[in-house]
Order: sequence, then structure tokens, then C-alpha cells
Amino acid sequence: MSKFLKFTASIVLLGAAWATNASAQDADAGEKVFRKCAACHAVGDGAKNKVGPELNEIFGRVAGSHEDFKYSNAMVKAGEEGLVWDHDSLTQYLAKPRDFVKGTRMAFAGLKKDDEIANVIAYLATFSANAEQAAAEPAPAAAEGGETKPTETAEAPATNAADAVIPEHGVYHLGREALPEEVAAWDIDVRPDGVGLPVGSGTVADGGVLYDENCAVCHGVFGEGEGRWPVLAGGYDTLTADRPVKTIGSYWPFASTIFDYVHRAMPFGNARSLDADQTYAITAYLLYLNDIVTDEDFELSNETFSEVSLPNEENFYPDDRLEEANFATNVEPCMENCGDGPAEIVMRARILDVTPDGDDESGAGGID
Amino acid sequence: MSQQPEKDKNFVPSRRSFLQGGLTAAGGAAVAAIGGGAALAAGTPDPAITELKDWNQYSGPGVDAAPYGVPSPFEAHVVRRDVPWLTADPISSINFTPLHELDGIITPNGLCFERHHSGVAEVDPAEHRLMINGLVDKPLVFTMQDLMRFPRENRVYFLECAANSGMEWRGAQLNGCQFTHGMLHNVMYTGVRLRTLLEEAGVKPSGKWILAEGADASGMGRSIPIEKALDDCLVAFKMNGEALRPEQGYPVRLCVPGWEGNMWVKWLRRIEVGDKPWQLREETSKYTDLMPDGRARRFTWAMDVKSVITNPSPQAPITHGRGHTIITGVAWSGHGKIKRVDVSIDGGRNWQHARIDGPSLSRSLHRFYYEFNWDGSPLYLQSRAIDEHGYVQPTKNALRAARGDNSIYHNNGIQTWYLKSNGEAENVEVS
Repeated sequence: MSKFLKFTASIVLLGAAWATNASAQDADAGEKVFRKCAACHAVGDGAKNKVGPELNEIFGRVAGSHEDFKYSNAMVKAGEEGLVWDHDSLTQYLAKPRDFVKGTRMAFAGLKKDDEIANVIAYLATFSANAEQAAAEPAPAAAEGGETKPTETAEAPATNAADAVIPEHGVYHLGREALPEEVAAWDIDVRPDGVGLPVGSGTVADGGVLYDENCAVCHGVFGEGEGRWPVLAGGYDTLTADRPVKTIGSYWPFASTIFDYVHRAMPFGNARSLDADQTYAITAYLLYLNDIVTDEDFELSNETFSEVSLPNEENFYPDDRLEEANFATNVEPCMENCGDGPAEIVMRARILDVTPDGDDESGAGGID
Repeated sequence: MSQQPEKDKNFVPSRRSFLQGGLTAAGGAAVAAIGGGAALAAGTPDPAITELKDWNQYSGPGVDAAPYGVPSPFEAHVVRRDVPWLTADPISSINFTPLHELDGIITPNGLCFERHHSGVAEVDPAEHRLMINGLVDKPLVFTMQDLMRFPRENRVYFLECAANSGMEWRGAQLNGCQFTHGMLHNVMYTGVRLRTLLEEAGVKPSGKWILAEGADASGMGRSIPIEKALDDCLVAFKMNGEALRPEQGYPVRLCVPGWEGNMWVKWLRRIEVGDKPWQLREETSKYTDLMPDGRARRFTWAMDVKSVITNPSPQAPITHGRGHTIITGVAWSGHGKIKRVDVSIDGGRNWQHARIDGPSLSRSLHRFYYEFNWDGSPLYLQSRAIDEHGYVQPTKNALRAARGDNSIYHNNGIQTWYLKSNGEAENVEVS
């Protein structure tokens, strides 16, 4: 018996809950929630598979069945065992993806709030002909609450101007003092000298598990980078090569940058979701992938951070463009009969049609 | 779903369309849009004059038909465009300003190129705060309303991505000044001097650097030396008179005049004062310039003197045949005002002074024109800007000699367009 059949018993119950919660289902709100998904999934006109499959007509789709997408074995198996995407299965999957389909490649940890799940499903339903009509229609109350209506005049404050309290600081006495908790909430930056490192620790081994779950889908299992996503490891001794590969190990000057960036901006599309211990662990693992540390038991912490340095640190130097010959000033440039003989074409545009139809016209020089 | 306008290949000339149809694909569309009676035989009355048009006869829409006005439908091709293969995903990507469709010096708000690292943050101004913390006498929090009570300034500045023209280091690659030079816009900002805000908090003598940080999901951060922060940096909330567009950092962004666009942190939420730079991702792994010896320059902030001819160019061929014509383009320098622009029509052998028209402002685009009588022969068009300090825009080969092919950023080399006798233009490099 499929493990998914056990959910059928609860469908009636969930269905009832769905009906009573109808006012909370709001496709417009769901569109915002979907931003958490949009790094990996596309939906709507022209949606294509990205890191995850495109989600048009997801309702009624057998799990793991979108042609042209390479699923985890677990997801294909779930489909073979009868998992079909509908309100109920999506509700459970989006709450805890890895619990619902053990072994799924989807790195996303899940949506914590029930209304977010309901809303994003309502949003997805607008791109599925098979979705029940009830889910596709936002409830009037929710729609009204969610819209910003243009107003012609601002409302006057209820208090008297003379009662306003004027702070004593500064020149204009504007703003207010930031509370320590507020500064702590936002000030998470970390410098090469360790200033800003939070208390915490994580090992290479812990980081490997976290990396595979959160990072490998874009950056590759070994940090080699999928598609045009950044390569994180390797590239040693390539900085003078024709095509340098700039990675943490080959190029980055400071290990603190890894911690700071992972903590503030990763995983892509779900920033600030890793705590300090997890960030130490992933940082340790990235150092391991780059052979900066070699022991799987190595534990990176605010105490051990200063032991780590990156090999390319010494090869950065301050901007000295002004010393280049072409920055010489007060040199009147040649105006007549410059150069040797008439100008001749030595190179033509490599790509004449910059909106290419296929990969064959892709050029060099990516940006990330 | 997609915000991308329909790709109109008529306005992105390809080798195929030229080979197949001469000027019928690109030039023909341009003629239809702007040219008029080129196809009429001499002596044939112009139906644009002799025929009664709908707009001559019938009333149009009344006021408020478009409460927020939009361009004429005949200008639908004037849009930002991207180059999909440049990046992994449109959420962290870039598109390009259609420089060849613009004139004067101001970039319209909806055409300013976009560069996001985690998509466009949709920020509710009522819930936005700007914090100043670190080495200050008193850490402060400002609401948007607080910010707008400080003395304001209006300044026109260009913003150029350090990677503008970066795809051209190894040679001519992309065919169109939108793509070679379109990581550029020029806007009048309204805002408060960063200095004013820092003085409100009181910078301690040990404060030598600031960190500017955004509220978006990339937490964009850059270190800026305190001298620049106290000089001309602007905390801006209006562009060209109206609120910042979401994709330009609504409700508030930092302007760092003359310096690379990555430092102009959008959705600005925090300024920290410190005694050392932070060495964050965007100033170490990115926006550092790899040199031929394998070492790398860091903190290459200033955008050097540069210019480009915007018309004619590959997306904007000459459709009128020989006779009086106008070459126009833009010039700019992160070091100050543009003093002079020279134009060459023979690939840099002989140069003429172009005419600069419109406001000449420090660290702002300058518009130049060069009018001449085209005899219809093929030309190699170049422009060369010189700024008020005497810095001269270099050739691409001079840059390569100094920096090799792999420094990515800060390519301010002279651009060549090959103007063919049929009026089309192509991105080339010449001897």
C-alpha cells in the first residue's frame, strides 16, 4: 500500500477546513509568497524549467512526471506510487517538503505559516485549469484588505503638533536613538579581523549535510557550479590563464566574506534562514571543498575563525589606475593623420543578434 | 507573468535580417515609424498631407484617460532589454538602457537599466527605516518622514555599472550601443546629503569608513571611505521629480557620484560607521580587477572618462541616404565635467570637435552632436571624450596593454561603429 493512500482519509477533513478558511485564500497574497519559490520555479506565460520544474498546470500533475525535468528518484517514485498534486498534497508538501517526500531534491525547508501555504496554492491555482474554482477566486474580504487604494489627501495626525516631543541629539533633532536590540537585529556584518562574528560553531561534516540540502542545487555538489551559477571551489592557479576561474580558494581574499555573505544572502531566495551555527558549518564545508581545511572534524567557530586564511589574500592591491600611461593629463591627443595608414577592420562583433534563439550564440563574459 | 516586452527583432538587427532583406527589416521599420515619404516618387502628393486622418477628424480621449501617462504606442519598441545568457537567472541579472532611442541628458525613469542581486524588493515606505550605527555618538533610526525633513538638494548624476562594456574586453561582441554601453543612466535626484545624516548621529574621530546596506534579500553592502561619504554622497528619495521606481531602490537609495553603480545601494536601510573596510562579497570576489600577473586591484571606485556615439549605431541605422546628417552621443566622467568630445569618421585618423549641447554638470552625462554632409561612403565612427582634469578616453588596445583581457570592469575604451554605405552600422574594432 502506498504511503500516500493514508492521506486520503484526511482529505475530507482538510477539504472542510479548506472551505471554512476560504476567506484566507488570496491569490494576490500568494503571488508575494511565491517569490520565495521564484528563484527555482517559474509559473505563467512562457514558464520554463529552472532549478525546479515549471508549475503551470501543476494541479492534477503526477508527481515527478514533468517531461524534460530531471527529478530526484524519490519524487519519481512518489508519482509512481500515486502522488498527484492537488490542494491537499501541495498543502502537506509545502509545509515540510522533505518529510512529505523523503529524498526530494527541493532544498526549500517549507512554509511555516498556514495562510502562506493556502495563498501560494491559490496563486498556483490561477495557472492550472484543473484547480477547483473556489481556490482560484480570492475572497472579497482578503482582496479588499490586500489592496492599496489611492487616496487624494493624507490624513492629518490625531495629536496636536505642539505636543510632539523633540529629541536632543544632532543638529535638526530628527530621528530617534536606535535601541540595542534594533542594532543587533540588523548589524550582522563580519569583517576579516573577526569583528561582528556571532558566538557559535559548526563542523565540516555538519556543513556538508547543510550544503547538500541548501546550496548544491545551484553551486553543484563539489562547488563546481550548475549552469551559470557561481563556481565556489577549484580554479587553483588559473588567475593568469586565458579563462581564469575565480573561486573562494583561487581568488577570494578573506574567509570572513563567506560567513558574512552566506549569513546575509543565502540560500538564494530564502536569505537569513540559516542561523549562526549553520553558517559556521557551511563556511567550514566551503573551506573544506577548497582544501583550505582538510579535516572533516574541523570545527569553525568564533574562537577558531582567526586560524583560517585564504591563499590569495596577498594578491590584492589598491587602485593604481592613475599610474597607467593612458591617464596622463595635459597631453593634447593627436587630431590629424594619426596612426599608420587608413584604418582597417581587425575584428567584427561576435554576436550580431544579441537575443539568441539558442545556446549556440551564447557569448563570453557572464555577470553574477 | 514575464515583465519582458516582446522581443522585437526588427529593432535588434541581426546579420540574417540584413543579409536577407537589406534594410527592409530594420531600416524599413524605422522609416515607417519616423521617416515618412522616402518611398514616394518625386511629384507624387504625400497622402500624409492629402488624406484626412482619423486624428484630424475625430476627438481623442479626454483628460484622465491615463491618470499616469505613458509613452505613445508608436514608441513601444523603446524599452530596456536584457541578454539572457549573461546571467544564471533574471532575479540576479541586468538589463540595458536603450541609449540609441534617447536624446538630451536625462534618462526617463522607466528606461533606467536595472541590476538586481535578489530581485526587486517591494518595500512599504511606512515600514522602511534607515539606521545609522557603529562609531557614532548616538545610533539613530529615521523614518521616511524624518528623512524628508532634512535640507534637500537636487543633483544630476550618471550611474554606470562597473561592468558596462565589460563584454567587449576580448573584442567586439554585442551589436548595439544599448548592449555595449547601456548599463548607464542619468537622473536628477532629490535627497539629503549623507553628510547631514552622519552629522546628526555624530561620527567619532575613529570612523574612517562607512558600510552602506540595502533592505533587499541580497543584503547588498559596500564599504565607502568616510571622505567620500562626507563629500557628495546623497541619500535620495526622488528621481526626475517623482518617487524612486521600485527597481531603482524605492523608497530610498544611496548616490555615490562618479563611482561604480554597485555602490549606489538601493532600498538603503543602514549606514554603519567603522574604522576599516568590511571586505564584503561585492568588493572582494566581485568588482575587483584581475590583472595579467594574476594579482587584482581592489577598491577601483571611480568611473573613468568615456563616451559613445548612440546614433547612428547598430540598432539605429541611417535610413535617409547621403546628405546632411547628425552624429550624436553621450560623454561622461566620474572625475567631473566633460571638457571636450572629438569625433572621427575615419577610425581615429582625423578628429573634429563635436558640439556639446545642454547642461554641463559634474559627474553627469553630456550630450554631443557632430553634423556633417555624408557622401554615402563607408565610415568608421568613433568618439573620444576629455574631462576637465585632462583625462583622455583611451583606446581599447591601450587598456588591454595595461590590464590584459580579464579585468572585466572599467572598460572605458573608444567604441568604433562601422557605418556601411547602406546606412547600417556594426560593432567593430579597427587597426
